[in-house]
Amino acid sequence: MAGESGELLQGTLEMMVLKTLSLEPMHGWGIAQRIQQMSRDVFLVSQGSLYPALIRMKRRGWLSTSWRVTANGRRARYYELTAAGRKQLGVEQASWQRTSAAVDWVMTARLALDGGHGT
Amino acid sequence: MSVLSDLIERVRSVIFRGRDERELADELRFHTEMDAEQLQQGGIGASEAHRRSQLMLGGVERVKEDVRDARGTRLFHDTGRDFGFAARTLKRNPGFALVAILTLAVGIGGTTAVYSAVDAVLLQPLPYQQPGQLVRLYYSEARRKEERGFVTPVHFLDYRERMASLESIAALGTYSETGADISTGGDVRRIRLLGVSADYFDVVRVQPRLGRALQRDEENAAPTVIISHGLWQDRFGGDPAAVGKTLTMSGRPHTVAGVMPNGFVDPLVGAVDGWVPMDLSPGRDVSNADNHYLSVIARLRQGVTIARAQDELDRLSVRLGEQYPDARLARARLDPLKEDIVGSSSKSLQLMLGAVALVLVLICVNMANLLLVRGSDRAREFALRSALGAERRRLVRQTLIESLTLALAGDLAGIIVARVAMAAIVAIGAGSIPRLSSLTLEPRLLVFSLVVASLSALGFGLAPALRAAKTQPGDVLREHSRSATSGGVQMRLRQWLVVSQVALAFVLLVGAGLLIASLRHIRQTPLGVKPQGVLTFELHLPDARYDSTARARFYEDVAERLGTLRGVTAAGGITKLPATGDYNIWGTRAQTGPLAGTERSGMAAQQRVISGKYFEVVGIPLIDGRFFDEHDDVAAPPRVIVSRSVAERLFPGVRAVGQTVRTGGGTKEIIGVVPDVALDAQGHMGPHVYHAHRQFAADRNWALSQVVRTTGSVEALQADARRAIAQLDPQLVMFKPMALDEAIGQGEAQRVFTLRLLTTFAGVALALAALGLFGVLSYSVRLRSREFGIRMALGADRGSIRGMVLREGLVVTAIGTGIGLLGAVGLSQLMASMVFGIDPLDPTVMVGAAVFMGLVSTLAAYLPAYRATSVEPSSVLQ
Repeated sequence: MAGESGELLQGTLEMMVLKTLSLEPMHGWGIAQRIQQMSRDVFLVSQGSLYPALIRMKRRGWLSTSWRVTANGRRARYYELTAAGRKQLGVEQASWQRTSAAVDWVMTARLALDGGHGT
Repeated sequence: MSVLSDLIERVRSVIFRGRDERELADELRFHTEMDAEQLQQGGIGASEAHRRSQLMLGGVERVKEDVRDARGTRLFHDTGRDFGFAARTLKRNPGFALVAILTLAVGIGGTTAVYSAVDAVLLQPLPYQQPGQLVRLYYSEARRKEERGFVTPVHFLDYRERMASLESIAALGTYSETGADISTGGDVRRIRLLGVSADYFDVVRVQPRLGRALQRDEENAAPTVIISHGLWQDRFGGDPAAVGKTLTMSGRPHTVAGVMPNGFVDPLVGAVDGWVPMDLSPGRDVSNADNHYLSVIARLRQGVTIARAQDELDRLSVRLGEQYPDARLARARLDPLKEDIVGSSSKSLQLMLGAVALVLVLICVNMANLLLVRGSDRAREFALRSALGAERRRLVRQTLIESLTLALAGDLAGIIVARVAMAAIVAIGAGSIPRLSSLTLEPRLLVFSLVVASLSALGFGLAPALRAAKTQPGDVLREHSRSATSGGVQMRLRQWLVVSQVALAFVLLVGAGLLIASLRHIRQTPLGVKPQGVLTFELHLPDARYDSTARARFYEDVAERLGTLRGVTAAGGITKLPATGDYNIWGTRAQTGPLAGTERSGMAAQQRVISGKYFEVVGIPLIDGRFFDEHDDVAAPPRVIVSRSVAERLFPGVRAVGQTVRTGGGTKEIIGVVPDVALDAQGHMGPHVYHAHRQFAADRNWALSQVVRTTGSVEALQADARRAIAQLDPQLVMFKPMALDEAIGQGEAQRVFTLRLLTTFAGVALALAALGLFGVLSYSVRLRSREFGIRMALGADRGSIRGMVLREGLVVTAIGTGIGLLGAVGLSQLMASMVFGIDPLDPTVMVGAAVFMGLVSTLAAYLPAYRATSVEPSSVLQ
């Protein structure tokens, strides 16, 4: 496993999966598609990171799974948020908002300082 | 997150692993299909869409691995799979697996068994409290301090009374086995008794678990017995009320005074069924001050060193010398009891330990060799798998697991071998190596050898994998496809490994050869008797039914009766069989002749009491005078026959026959002179004085070992003899029947024991070395098959190519043998104590071992050499 940046990405991916599943139960491919669409093609979720993440989250009790038939008649494993998963989403969302806001402040503050010196 | 759900999930995935894997595959297939479908909808052709969707997946195995990782059970699964894989790989190559496992088994089993023996005999303290305080007390002489003889009862009583440095001291009657017949129902059985003085149990600090110990006022052969736990169970069913009951032994009722605890082992003798009070009354008769028959052990007082006790003993001995003119030069010496017990067997066991160490090294070398070959064989496989995306860490782990599988299988087989080997050691060594009966598989030792062998397997298995992991897969694949080798350096390393194997095997061969030569030498040593074709057994007559007159008559009757059996030429009896050790060494003094009355008129001589035609049976010729006949009975004046050295020392320059000597408490006339006979199997001759049992039966109940010479087979005679005895007295037990040469051979049992083990080890070592050589040559032939093909295509004949391979093998052997020779020279010091009658650097043995080594090596080299030329040049070159 890679270092901290990987960890961060992993955490972010999990949060996005939780968010996606909070809308409706979904199979793995659907989750990947949904994240890609919602991020406007910024995040391309590979199977190599998606399925391990799903398994990990299931292990933590955030997801439950069931095999269902899709709209076009294929069998697929659907993932669904559990109560613990829903709670986790709330926690992560709050924490993310705090973090991203903080990062934002830092980044803008730095720009302002630069601007101050430059002009 | 909940720890519990995490755990449940992990456990679930371990249990439902198969289903999980199937579902994962389904899920990933679904994903790819959806990708492909989506691409097709975007207007891409079906096959291109399929290809791209596969690319997007990025290696299905990789994804699966990552998912397994996420399950948190990956290590578990992979390990399980690796074990399965390892088992399959090994099964595909059963020769390799078998050799490796056998190698390990022999290594672990042999090492553990022999080390357990060494541990039980040498390293473990004696099983008594404060064993360091225990000493053995021997008689020695003022001029010969090294001498270790039996103690007289007179001296024993003095030591017991006066030695302040000793907390307790006890005498044991060990010089001859005593026993008694007890009847259980209609069955007569012989049990083993040990006569001890009262303080015996204080010295060893083990008291009876029931009843009481012996008392000093019983030291007059009182009819009291303390029985062993085994006899108590057998005879009294473990009833606590046994104490105080009567046990009839050889017709004489004895009171059971106590029962010893289970597991109690006597320090000097084994398998005792009962302890009876020793008769110490002869100790109060000063005429016994030169009558040696007691074994003495003692316990030093707390804080007293053995040197200080020895000082006191020396001073006391000088004073006693003045007191007893018969024993003016009598002294005594103390030895630590453990040293005394272990004594000469320690050398033999140390030698064993050395041999085991050599074999263990050999085994490690062999494992290294085997696994190195395998490693280079598999370099290509590893390279291929690593090119296909297998992680290197994973490859290394898999090799490790393969080695571990081997090691575990070897360990298991090793434990079995150890058990078998230990049973064999106990069987072979019983009787010749003290304390061996307490041998158990020591768990610490087992763990030790398991660890050593496993580590060697792991270490040598890992090296190739690590190397494989470091090299670029491409290089290896290219190299191998051209059938070149990475192997120059490795080949040389392996050759050196074989050299070391040959050297080690050679050292062991020399060791075994030396022992074989010694043993043959011993077998050829003249003993003064002809032991072949003689049956011997003990016959004990119970006091209750036989008084001295009856005994005197009975032993003669037995000899006469046995003498009439078919094939029997003569029969007789003696108190101690020839060449089986010292017995009854009594002072013997010339009463007449030139030395009478002088200081040189006395000597110590082996006393024997004989019946029937003893001399004829064992083949001792008459030099002068006559043998005993039926007229030499109690009515006649006491007579003796002496051996040549007694005659020459006590009666120099005159004829001994007709002279008189004082021995055994009486003055006796010499009627005959015979040659000296050996005291042990190594042929050390001793002075002997023979008494006629007819005349001497009253002295004590002599238990005569019967000897019967037959022209037929000794085994067949046994049944006839048993019937004949039963006709005379159906209640007698024919005790310990065996061939006389076997009885004498028991003195050499320790050497035979060492020899058998060492020969086994030498055989194993030789096999390992041959195997190593075979492996290296086979491998080198395989590597060079292309070269050989070219040579043959260019016209080289098969003979010269075979010669090349054979020469390679013999050069390795020669270097190994040379190094081994140096090793053997280095070890000759250790061997010197074990060999007998030959030089530890005996050239015949050395040359023999070298020739043998060369022969085996040639055999080992021949098959690869043959194979080198069996290929068609064209097939190799294509």
